[in-house]
Amino acid sequence: MVVTQAATEKILSTRDLVKVYAGSDRPAVDGLNLEIDRGSIFGLLGPNGAGKTTTISILCTLLQPTSGQAIVLGQDVRNQADAIRRRIGVVPQDIALYPSLTARENLRYFARILRIPRDRIEQRIDECLELVGLRDFSHKRVADFSGGMKRRTNLAVGILHEPELLFLDEPTVGIDAQSRNLILDRLGELNRAGMSMLYTSHYMEEVRQLCHDVVIIDHGRAIAAGTPDELVAGSAEAENLEELFLELTGRELRD
Amino acid sequence: MILLANIKKELLLLSRDRAGLLILFVMPMLLVLVLSLIQDNLFRATGETATRALFVNLDQGDLGTELKTQLNATGALELVEQFSGRTIEPEQARQTVFAGDYQFAIIVPADFSARLNSAADETVRAALDQKNLERAPEPLILYFDPTVRGVYRTAVTNALYRGLLGLEIARKGEALSRLLPEKVQESVEREMAAYGGGIALDLPELSSGWARQSLLELREESAYPEKYSTLPTSVQQNVPAWTLFGMFFIVIPLAGTLIRERQEGTLTRLMTMPVSNSSLLLGKVIAYLSICLVQFGLMLAVGRFILPRFGTPVLELGSAPVALIVVALVAALAACGYGILVGTLARSYEQASTFGAVSIVIAAALGGVMVPVYVMPKVMQGLSVVSPLGWGLDAFLDIFVRNGNLASVFHRVAALGGFFLACIIVASVVFRHRRRGT
Repeated sequence: MVVTQAATEKILSTRDLVKVYAGSDRPAVDGLNLEIDRGSIFGLLGPNGAGKTTTISILCTLLQPTSGQAIVLGQDVRNQADAIRRRIGVVPQDIALYPSLTARENLRYFARILRIPRDRIEQRIDECLELVGLRDFSHKRVADFSGGMKRRTNLAVGILHEPELLFLDEPTVGIDAQSRNLILDRLGELNRAGMSMLYTSHYMEEVRQLCHDVVIIDHGRAIAAGTPDELVAGSAEAENLEELFLELTGRELRD
Repeated sequence: MILLANIKKELLLLSRDRAGLLILFVMPMLLVLVLSLIQDNLFRATGETATRALFVNLDQGDLGTELKTQLNATGALELVEQFSGRTIEPEQARQTVFAGDYQFAIIVPADFSARLNSAADETVRAALDQKNLERAPEPLILYFDPTVRGVYRTAVTNALYRGLLGLEIARKGEALSRLLPEKVQESVEREMAAYGGGIALDLPELSSGWARQSLLELREESAYPEKYSTLPTSVQQNVPAWTLFGMFFIVIPLAGTLIRERQEGTLTRLMTMPVSNSSLLLGKVIAYLSICLVQFGLMLAVGRFILPRFGTPVLELGSAPVALIVVALVAALAACGYGILVGTLARSYEQASTFGAVSIVIAAALGGVMVPVYVMPKVMQGLSVVSPLGWGLDAFLDIFVRNGNLASVFHRVAALGGFFLACIIVASVVFRHRRRGT
């Protein structure tokens, strides 16, 4: 199944993407085809073990695909990883920060790794901290932050270098409603400013609110695609995205 | 520059980790200080300086006192005869040794002089009569603490034998000086009896000192007297040994930082950024290498300035400072390389800290840090050549004691450098393999 958007510039596309881990007898990603428009927020949904994290890992150059093609920002993930890394941002599911450093020290380190010019680093750190509502806590160690503050700092690192495409792997998991609301608001602002996003989440309401297009995958394959409203409208029984998700992926537990 | 950012980040992380800093600086310094002092004491106990022993002299003659003089003259024993101004009783001496307060007690019996003189006379007489005397040696009791190591006990018994031998030779010499003229007179009278006898000979008397006079002297000389006059001291053995041990313990915090980066997800995040593996790795190696070199400098300072305050010799560093720095550098590199390897292979901090610590202790033991290689069993001596700590220690001792230079330690330097490269290559292969998920 090929998920095709309107004939606008594609910021990301995959063709027959396959990933089989060593020692595994079945593929984690099994012939996945995706196309994402520049400027859109694309939701990648699926139950646990569906292949979401493997897909994102391939797209942000962490893993090599077993076969198939993945083009990100016009570059092939197989052999142009470094060029891709300069232009993408990643907000991982883990709080990928150094707990014993302050928020500013974390951002300063990652800013230098992301090759932000020295004379812009402090200004850019201030802008990002301001965006996530942590300007007044910049000198506090991340270890002393609440869960919501850590998630917001995690986002701040992802957007430091103003990436063209931002990968968000469940960026709001396990945090308070206020922090979640702020993160969703800021992601909307960033998208309106031109940042494209690939977003995964288990919160269907969040996906409906934020994403322009959605693909639901299971067992490494796409099983539904379209806008959230189109998908719900196309179902005879589902009244919302969550019901549709359960209808497509089943109600048995996936651990 | 990204490499500088990585180095700065590592140092910043270390500066926030008080326990890590304690492990890196205070613990090795304490290790060098405490173990050098303990080992120094062992060096002394096994012959370098006098050992204190109880001396209970019950002898009613003068040979007990003479034995004391002989023992003091060996320089190996410092004899204690009184507790708080009171003479020590034999049973009290035995109990004191049994309690572990002293390791040795020498009990000289009341009839020691009488019996030794009588034994010397009998032995010389028998010799002059060309008879074989079957006589049991006179006993002298030496109580020792059963926990005392063999080499320590041997040092004391050797000193005691030397003292007794001197005393015995003197007694036999004195008996011979006295009895030989008598025996000659007797023989002459017997032979001359047929001619009427009554001949009085004026035989010359032997002087009493001839038996004590040494004919041979053992002269100890360095194998390199023309080049280097300093003999290895306990400090020269112990400071570099325990310094290397401390430096290799950098494996634990270094492996820890790799594991934490993996577990917290920061490594994964970094892998999505335009930074090479080599830059990340080099940043860690340079940061921890600088820590190792600071450790090394501090521990040499302990050997040079602090240990002598506790009575040890001053650490002499030899005459090849460049070679010393090069050996310290490659030893630190080897430690860092091993830390990277352990951090890459271990799945958890617990695994890394346990395996890292145990493997370093084993390598230290094999390399002669704890026990010199030459006293190990043959099999272990063969295994000792695989210990990087052994290579480093050998190179340091070569510089400190054998007037080594860069050329003479080159093979050790190359081995340590090769060990570093091997660790980094294996770690890189494993890391790439895991990262690709293949």
